[in-house]
Amino acid sequence: MIEFISRISVVCFAASYAVALACEASRLLFRSGVRGAAMVAFATAGLVAHTLFLGWRAAHEPSVPLSSAFDWYLLAAWVLAGGYLWLTIANPRAPVGLVMLPLVLGLIGAAQVSSREPFPQSPATQIWGAVHGVFNLAASVAVALGALAGLAWLLQAGRLARKQAPFRGFRLPSLERLAQATARSASIAASTAAAGFLSGIVLNAVNRRRGLLETVPWNDPVVLRMAAVVAWLVSAALVVRATQRRPDGPRIAAWLSLVGLAVLTASIVWGLFGATRHGAPPAAAARVAAAEDARR
Amino acid sequence: MTVAFVGGTHRTVPLDLRERLAFSAAQAAEALARFRERFPGREGVLLSTCNRVEFYAAGAEAAAPPAAAELVSFLAECRGIDAGLLAPVLAADRDEAAVRHLFSVAAGLDSMVLGEPQIVAQVKQAWAIAQENNTAGPLTAGMFQAALRTAKRVATETGLGRERLSIPSVAVADFASGVFERFDDKRVLLIGAGKMAAETLRYLRVAGARDVVVLNRTAGRADGLAARLGGRAGRFEDLVAELAAADLVVSTTGATAPVVTLDSFAGAEAARGGRPLVVLDLAVPRDFDPRIGGRPGVWLYSVDDLAAACEANRRSRQRELPAAISIVDEETHRFMGDLHHRSMAPVIERLRAGWNETGEAELERLFRRLPDLDAAARAEIRQAFDRYAAKLLHPPLASLRSASRGGPPHGLLDALKRLFDLKD
Repeated sequence: MIEFISRISVVCFAASYAVALACEASRLLFRSGVRGAAMVAFATAGLVAHTLFLGWRAAHEPSVPLSSAFDWYLLAAWVLAGGYLWLTIANPRAPVGLVMLPLVLGLIGAAQVSSREPFPQSPATQIWGAVHGVFNLAASVAVALGALAGLAWLLQAGRLARKQAPFRGFRLPSLERLAQATARSASIAASTAAAGFLSGIVLNAVNRRRGLLETVPWNDPVVLRMAAVVAWLVSAALVVRATQRRPDGPRIAAWLSLVGLAVLTASIVWGLFGATRHGAPPAAAARVAAAEDARR
Repeated sequence: MTVAFVGGTHRTVPLDLRERLAFSAAQAAEALARFRERFPGREGVLLSTCNRVEFYAAGAEAAAPPAAAELVSFLAECRGIDAGLLAPVLAADRDEAAVRHLFSVAAGLDSMVLGEPQIVAQVKQAWAIAQENNTAGPLTAGMFQAALRTAKRVATETGLGRERLSIPSVAVADFASGVFERFDDKRVLLIGAGKMAAETLRYLRVAGARDVVVLNRTAGRADGLAARLGGRAGRFEDLVAELAAADLVVSTTGATAPVVTLDSFAGAEAARGGRPLVVLDLAVPRDFDPRIGGRPGVWLYSVDDLAAACEANRRSRQRELPAAISIVDEETHRFMGDLHHRSMAPVIERLRAGWNETGEAELERLFRRLPDLDAAARAEIRQAFDRYAAKLLHPPLASLRSASRGGPPHGLLDALKRLFDLKD
């Protein structure tokens, strides 16, 4: 069994999600009595393999569990895949996979090209690093779910405005539910992204005080783009709140959620290919870690 | 084994005759009891809905179902109608055509509204009445179970019954439900007392609507309608205020000019606080100025908009028809194959019994001549005899099974009977 788990690779669960996505896409082409079961089966298989893969890494990597950019992207994909499975079982006729599964696969792709080197380790950075990572992860998931709800709102509103019958093969949720989901996602994304950014500042301050950092890299591209993302998400959440009672409020929220996803995606892509010192073990941190290892 | 049916639908039987021919549940039970007495050993199921009356009869060779003319006379007699009036308007079929017809009926392919789902419950009820009155049997059981399976397959594998076709159902299920998640916290405003208002409200009630306000120029009519529909009557003079408070409006007045103009709506719009409003304007001429539909947060649907959606749904159902027909064909062939196979069972049984009888006689003779054989040796010899008989019987039985897929293999059955001297 252990040997079987150790052989699970990223390709295993990525392929399962890809097949589930192909099943979702086939809704647009033809009807099938077994498609729903096939979608859930492939997504479940992917999620199980994904969970075992992350569990194996957490248990067998020499560093702190799930402490590299690679792990964090996979963890974000895992949360989204779980959300997809839950939404699909709860609303079998809603085509959420058409939006969520490409995001899951995108995050897995991002993990593949990102660093597997663990972030710097010391007791203080472990705690604040984990807080920083968890909030950023929650913000990414909230942005993705908000964009999904926003896109569905625009599709549903377009259909209702054109006075057309519901889309063949799938039924979207009501505008009321989608508007609530978009607004809540905007608030959660803004608050968690802000908390993630603030915890990053605290993390740097702690590192500086302990002598792990010589200077705080405020002008690092990752810090700058994260600041831009946070500024966008907070502004968007404020606009959504301010326009909530206007008749066109849900439409504004829907568009803002889509732009939010575009901003976040651009930020991630930029981070993957741009030069950065963010998350890299500073010289001092490396020295401290080496000394601790020597003591042990 | 034979299946037969006679029956008429809205397409062939004029309404006045259909009304006279229709059976209530009690009358159907009475007719089936009479059928049992008149045609003993036969199975019968009577399907009577507002659009069709059909009688399905089945029986084995020895007790074949009555001829079509007999069934027509029987139905006429049950309902006290001259058989001469019924004969020209009732259709009749036997065997595969009769089975295919039942499967098409159960799947809603023969209904007035293509793919309507109520017929499944009616077919189930007809079968239940036949069971209660002991006119159901193994043949009709298989046939009706297969019919219900066909209906289920058509419903799940095609989109035939998915889209709605009536204006009130489309208005509520396809449009109002697209805007609102729930209706139990929404205010429904009914303007006027048109025929479609009550039906639309019925769908809204099913969807959960509780808070209903009725407005009518004649206060007395509003009171009566509110009492009948379980709502509250308001004053027509408060129309703007009620519009401001409403979430969903169903308007069906007989007014010749718009009841709500863009200007009068502007007064309500300011007080709405940005809440979305769904307006189902089911009046002709329209009660709402069409420009109101262009206001943000307003979803305005006229009868024409809804009728267009209904028509699109109808076309969509038509597109699903070939897929549904192919399911009916597939299930019909499957059922007929099973039926033919079953019709061979007595011959196969007799053939096996004959071989076993001969085998037993030979074994007895052998064991008498070899009295020293112990029990184990006897069992071994008996098994060898059985295996030998099974192997010899396998090719003719396989040929019979294969031939039964294309229809009753009468030629082969007759040949078997003659070759092996099988008596009926």
